[in-house]
Amino acid sequence: MAKNTGASKFRKVDVDQYDEDKFQDEDIDVADQGPNDTEVSNLLAQYPLLSSANVNFHTGKNQDALLLVLNSAPIGSKNQAVKDRAANTVVRVLTSFKVADIDRAVKSLDQKNVDTLMKYIYRGFESPSDGSSASLLTWHEKVFAAGGLGSIVRVLTDRKRV
Amino acid sequence: MDYSCCSTFLFILLCVQAATLKPYLNCVKETLTAAMCVQSFDSQVVERHNKPEVEVKSSKELLLTPVVISRNEKEKVLIESSINSIRISIAVKQADEIEKILCHKFMRFMMMRAENFVILRRKPVEGYDISFLITNVHTEQMYKHKLVDFIIQFMEEIDKEINDMKLAVNSRARLSAEEFLKCF
Amino acid sequence: MAEKHNFGVNPVTCHAVSGDKTNLALSLNDHEVKIYKKSGNKWQETDTLGEHGQRVTGIDWASKSNRIVTCGADRNAYVWTYQNGKWKPELVILRINRAATCVRWSPEENKFAVGCGARLISVSYYEEEHRWWVSKHIKKPIRSTVTCLDWHPNNVLIAAGSTDFKARVFSGYIKEIESKPSPCAWGTKMMFATPMAEFSNGGGGWVHAISFSPSGDRIAWVGHDSSVSVADAANESRLVVIKDSFLPFLGITWVSENSMVAAGYDCNPMLFTYDAGKGSLSLVSKLDIPQEKAAGTVSAMNRFRDLDKKASSGDNSTELKTQHQNTITQVSVFDGTKAQCKRISTSGVDGNLIIWDLNVSQHSINASF
Repeated sequence: MAKNTGASKFRKVDVDQYDEDKFQDEDIDVADQGPNDTEVSNLLAQYPLLSSANVNFHTGKNQDALLLVLNSAPIGSKNQAVKDRAANTVVRVLTSFKVADIDRAVKSLDQKNVDTLMKYIYRGFESPSDGSSASLLTWHEKVFAAGGLGSIVRVLTDRKRV
Repeated sequence: MDYSCCSTFLFILLCVQAATLKPYLNCVKETLTAAMCVQSFDSQVVERHNKPEVEVKSSKELLLTPVVISRNEKEKVLIESSINSIRISIAVKQADEIEKILCHKFMRFMMMRAENFVILRRKPVEGYDISFLITNVHTEQMYKHKLVDFIIQFMEEIDKEINDMKLAVNSRARLSAEEFLKCF
Repeated sequence: MAEKHNFGVNPVTCHAVSGDKTNLALSLNDHEVKIYKKSGNKWQETDTLGEHGQRVTGIDWASKSNRIVTCGADRNAYVWTYQNGKWKPELVILRINRAATCVRWSPEENKFAVGCGARLISVSYYEEEHRWWVSKHIKKPIRSTVTCLDWHPNNVLIAAGSTDFKARVFSGYIKEIESKPSPCAWGTKMMFATPMAEFSNGGGGWVHAISFSPSGDRIAWVGHDSSVSVADAANESRLVVIKDSFLPFLGITWVSENSMVAAGYDCNPMLFTYDAGKGSLSLVSKLDIPQEKAAGTVSAMNRFRDLDKKASSGDNSTELKTQHQNTITQVSVFDGTKAQCKRISTSGVDGNLIIWDLNVSQHSINASF
């Protein structure tokens, strides 16, 4: 005969996890290393130095850095450390922009890069450091103007997180 | 520092803050509009049930990436969405002890009356001061853009409310202190 | 021009029209199905089909045999036949243990498919011998709730979208009642439940609606990542995806071999066109072009009345500029066929059913056909 023990632990067992048909994320681990930090730093270093010499030239360098980090975003990677490092780099690039240059930078991006940038903006909001939020909010406004609600929807729906 | 001086100071402070408040609220508004795309969805785990997936979290494919929007380290909004419900949690700025107490009391007051606020959750999500739970039933009964406006207005008002209460507490404390010291 | 019909404040969960377009069946987000008859410009309620125990989730009206099939969250489906002025229900044992989400008659109306939350598709056909509807299941490799279905014109293939972010094509060939299907662009071997194709548009996004093109060679589907995708089997299963700045769509249907209408959370149906030669998909136009209300015509009296009532003089009405005031949940062909659609109907959460005229209202659409 079963004994009444008053135990209730079994109620907490999640039996559904043993369902064979349960949804599983696809296991694709791309060995992405993310953007090269020194390369980005080099590009950024040229930004303020040349600012007085040639206006068009210096924005170009910063835009190069932005394109570099967005194109080499480790989206397929499963390695959280790589993703964290990439996110930090992107936030560093974003905060280095002058407000006046943001518009032009956003305009030069294609739809895929706009979506990736939006993902990084939300990622940046998660770990606010001094002043980063204010500049991210400005970026959000400009990127939203380019990508619309669809780009935010895709930040929410995409399984491949940054 | 007398009262008028104090309020001038507060006014300047608010003006400085307003510079980032507008983009912050805009950002929250746009994110909410995108996240509030919910539909009726019957549970695929429990028979004949229909429950907010964002709360039960029984199937991970029905949950979306949670996002945070922060204005600074202390003020932020967490938006978690799923196929039939979204949960919005707000962390309100609390600069000092008195603001902490006021905020806590105020939120407690409202959450005890959660059913009168329809979309208010009875308990905040951990790390936040107040949470809202919006399901497909709410978006069917109410205009979506008005729901978004409600949350935004709430966020606008809550700072003001707490500042007002703080001033009221301070002036009352000063009055009672004066009265008390008259005895000596 | 668009005809707007209101059915109250409750959402219209789903709707279907009869073959002769004079009758309409819809569910107002509850356990009943209401039948309306067209009289003049209005829909007159004639009957209520109340057999379901929970919310009705899908209705389909067989145009040739004049039968209605409904499915609901109570895991049941009913086939309704019109006899002696009454709709007579017949329970179908689907053998599913979660809510049904959608139902569709096959083009020849000898079987129907039901999608459900039990991660399977149930295909039912009538067995004359036992006078009973029998169901067969398509299970693999669906990993989540099936949200939408559509039949291929050859009466065999079924396209299904699911919340596991995939669009799939299955064979729904029932050897008991039909002859062996001939090969088509999707494949040659069509045993029951064979997966013929599987598509993912990358990223995530639950599939909300799916539709076979009139020829059956293409499928179009919409996902929660604000995307519209087309896969072309006649063209090496080429996949074209458009991800734009709008909110996600909930319904899509082809309206010619190259164009389709999608609608959803933006409350505005949009026309897309697919160019097989270039392999491109593009937005042609929105069907609902809001008419700007003339500003500055506020009379002094209105102005003061508003000031008195709402404490503001500005025009802060709650109404949206679009005809639908809330999310559109279904788009279907109302008049004509998918190959040559004259009018489409959309229904939404705002309790409205709107019939859009594709020929008259949009000259630009005709040009692009």
